[in-house]
Amino acid sequence: MFTTIVLKELKSILVSPKFPVTFAVASVLVLLSVFMGIREYRASLDQYQAANALVKQEMREARGWMSLSNRVYREPDPMQIFVSGVHNDVGRLSGISTWEPVKLSASAYSDDLIYALFRFIDFTFIVQVVLTLFAILFTYDSINGERESGTLQLMLSNPVPRARVITAKFVGAWLGLVVPIMIPVLLGLSLLLVYKVPMTAEHWVRLGFLAGASLLLFTFFIAFGMLVSSVTRRSNISFLICLVSWVALVLIVPRAGMMMAGQIVKVPTDAEIDSQQDSFSKDRWNAHFEALSEKWSTRMEPLEGLPDAERTAKREEMEWAWAEEDKNDRDSMHAVIDGNARKLREDLRNRKGERERLAFTLSRFSPVSAFQLAAMNLAGTDIGLKTRYEDALEAYRASFNQYKTQKQKESGSSGGISIQVDSEKGVKIDVGREMALDLDGMPEFTTTRPSLSESVSATGVDFGLMALFSIISFAGAFAMFLRYDPRYAN
Amino acid sequence: MFKLIVEKELREIIGSMKFAVTFGISSLLLVLTFYVGARNYQVSAEQNETARRENLRKLEGLTDWGEVQNFRVYLPPQPVSSLVMGISNDIGRTSDIRGAGEINARDSKYGEDPVYAVFRFLDLDFIFQIVLSLFAILFAYDAVNGEKERGTLRLTLANAVPRSTYIAGKIAGSFLALAVPLLVPILLGALLLLAMGIPMAGSDWTRFALIVAAGYLYFGVFLSLSLFVSSATEKSSTSFLVLLVVWIFSVMIIPRTAVLLAGRAVDVPTVDQLVSQKSRYSASLWQEQRKTMADWRAPSDTPMDKVFPEFEKFMAGIDAERTEKMNAYGQRLNEERSNAQAVQERFAFGLARVSPSAVFSLLTTSVAATGVHLKDEYKLQALQYQKQYAEFFKGKTGRNPSGSFMFRMTTDDDQKEKKKINTAEMPAFAFVQPPIAAALGPVIMDFGILALFNIVFFAGAFVAFLRFDAR
Repeated sequence: MFTTIVLKELKSILVSPKFPVTFAVASVLVLLSVFMGIREYRASLDQYQAANALVKQEMREARGWMSLSNRVYREPDPMQIFVSGVHNDVGRLSGISTWEPVKLSASAYSDDLIYALFRFIDFTFIVQVVLTLFAILFTYDSINGERESGTLQLMLSNPVPRARVITAKFVGAWLGLVVPIMIPVLLGLSLLLVYKVPMTAEHWVRLGFLAGASLLLFTFFIAFGMLVSSVTRRSNISFLICLVSWVALVLIVPRAGMMMAGQIVKVPTDAEIDSQQDSFSKDRWNAHFEALSEKWSTRMEPLEGLPDAERTAKREEMEWAWAEEDKNDRDSMHAVIDGNARKLREDLRNRKGERERLAFTLSRFSPVSAFQLAAMNLAGTDIGLKTRYEDALEAYRASFNQYKTQKQKESGSSGGISIQVDSEKGVKIDVGREMALDLDGMPEFTTTRPSLSESVSATGVDFGLMALFSIISFAGAFAMFLRYDPRYAN
Repeated sequence: MFKLIVEKELREIIGSMKFAVTFGISSLLLVLTFYVGARNYQVSAEQNETARRENLRKLEGLTDWGEVQNFRVYLPPQPVSSLVMGISNDIGRTSDIRGAGEINARDSKYGEDPVYAVFRFLDLDFIFQIVLSLFAILFAYDAVNGEKERGTLRLTLANAVPRSTYIAGKIAGSFLALAVPLLVPILLGALLLLAMGIPMAGSDWTRFALIVAAGYLYFGVFLSLSLFVSSATEKSSTSFLVLLVVWIFSVMIIPRTAVLLAGRAVDVPTVDQLVSQKSRYSASLWQEQRKTMADWRAPSDTPMDKVFPEFEKFMAGIDAERTEKMNAYGQRLNEERSNAQAVQERFAFGLARVSPSAVFSLLTTSVAATGVHLKDEYKLQALQYQKQYAEFFKGKTGRNPSGSFMFRMTTDDDQKEKKKINTAEMPAFAFVQPPIAAALGPVIMDFGILALFNIVFFAGAFVAFLRFDAR
């Protein structure tokens, strides 16, 4: 009997008039999203390689070692085809220099605003919006619809336990929807091979997990549709409830959670932090200069009243020690200023982290958010992308600057301009000699990606939540169905 | 009879549970959107103000205008922009003002806080475009074929009522039943803006009214489309499916596909290419000037104390020359890129306008001045400000602020108390939203397109209904 019901359910989905339409739409969209994702990925890869070549050339033609700076671009990753995440929102590049801290700037969206207005479609988006809608469309009347058409009463008049009926219905609906959807998904994956996207084994594993997450979300919506169908008597009411819940779960809860967190945890903007730091450093400098002039007057005091020759001699004797002392003062002030900058940045990061945790907690009330977060973690296009890159870039900056200083020393030229002022000869400028920089041995930036196990473990909560939501929905449908009144008459 | 049909339609909709639920939800969402928009505005205005004040504060206590460094201006939030955000969160807001040269704004909201980029914000554009259009479909998908299924259509048509009157009454009734109640949360939202003290100027209210008007037209498009499909199909389940597919394409697929197609069809040089070309050009200019600098000697009869000023003058001269060349070169490159971008944009948006949702989005963003042109507008105004700033600076110090060479000589015996600079004298940057009139052409066109969609779908519904088999 179990198989009979499964088969019946399968058949009713596959031969229903809405099936060909929805299946066609879903297939077109899945394929389209993968196809466009591949095109975009290849375009950004070309752009990345071209940009790197340009930077190299630029550096070779630079004025000299002292003013040498580098630019590091974020490397595109094939996973962004499926989950663009924050990839287009976070800056694509950062300058690497002695005089500026690293900062990712120029996001893809801010450079090409036409994309920013409508955004991209990716596979995750299709799953979240289109496939979930279709899951609901096929299950909203799975129980009350049968009651309305009278078939439920007929079915239950057979000697078959209700528990088995509901389970079979669920299995049937699941197979009827999941198996057809797998076709365009597999075709989409084969596009990766056709276009020779450089996928490693790890990428395929990540994709496997992504497919698992998508299935879980899809399963949730199938179970949810059945749940609503089993708590209501009439299919038009369950339809309304389903659609409204869909709007809430897909469109509202994720955003509302994020915005609520933004209201609760106040986070200053980068502009605020920057100007705070500027003011702080200005205050330090002022204090430093004041202390310096005071110091000089105390240094000069004992020399007052000495004959000129003795004074000059004393002064020359002390000069070295004083210069050393001043330099130490300056260094310690720099350390204080840097320390403050670090502290401000760290505070900012902690605040952001706090807000992020709250935002995720709130938005995870919707399994759709859980799916989105899991997908981004799997693809490495999650919120942490920015800090991860900036940390790695900061480390790279240190080694780059070290290399630069060493090269500068070796070349024996500052690369700057030296200006000599002489009372006889006037002013003479030395701009150094012309040279092409030999960038041998320059450290290269290596892209940082979280390892597979890190990514997967970060998605644990979300997989768990989606599973939990699915189980609760199915259990609810199960419980409600056991007590469902199958009679046709109201 | 027309009135009777309108009344019946009104009563039927307002009395339904569907109405209670959806109206409740959309009201809640609308009011929430207004609240969130207003709060966002307040918070960003405050943050903007803090940054601006701190930026000025660090200049206080300086005794020489020549010491002014790192002067920045910020793109301030605008009241209407927080209701229709457009691309305002995608573009940089902080610009360094150096006195000459290009301005590249940084720190975009989404770049700074990717957490918001993931799920994005709620705004009126989103609520109308996605939620309310869906609800319009939900109400009207079975307006005609549903009545047939229930048998009421035959009864109605058995009366002496022309079909044209009937369908006109239906559309008027359903529009009234949905549009009038929606005014309640919208007005509540407007009151909320007032109550929260959002500084809405007269022109802001005009923008707001235009946005609401556009919202209603857009709502009308989906309502008449639903009636059209409902009278062109036999079964309400079919009409719903068709509408849902149309909705998905209109809201999500067409706009994005159009943009991607345009991106492929029109080649735009990347920003990276531009940056690199500029930086290489600058390096080559430097090489050229290397020799000139090395050869410089002060005129032989210059007294010693005049040598340095002479030198400064010389350096300022080559500096100015280089800046000018650099500007000309940069401008040419930027122009090439922005021309290509304009072609791409026309292509993309022309294609996207097949979808009423894209038309609505483009319309509201141009009314709210948060469309793709916001970035250029901000850049332009920042550049104008930079000129003002440079003039001010020159007036104070006698030299250009742009020069990369600056010599400051101070001597210990200069003991007299120096006067502190008064930062209030500095010209202030105030971003002015371009007037609506500036975008009048596209605004009128988009209103026209939305109206056209309404007319076409309504005519379609009309014709289809005249031939509808009521049995």
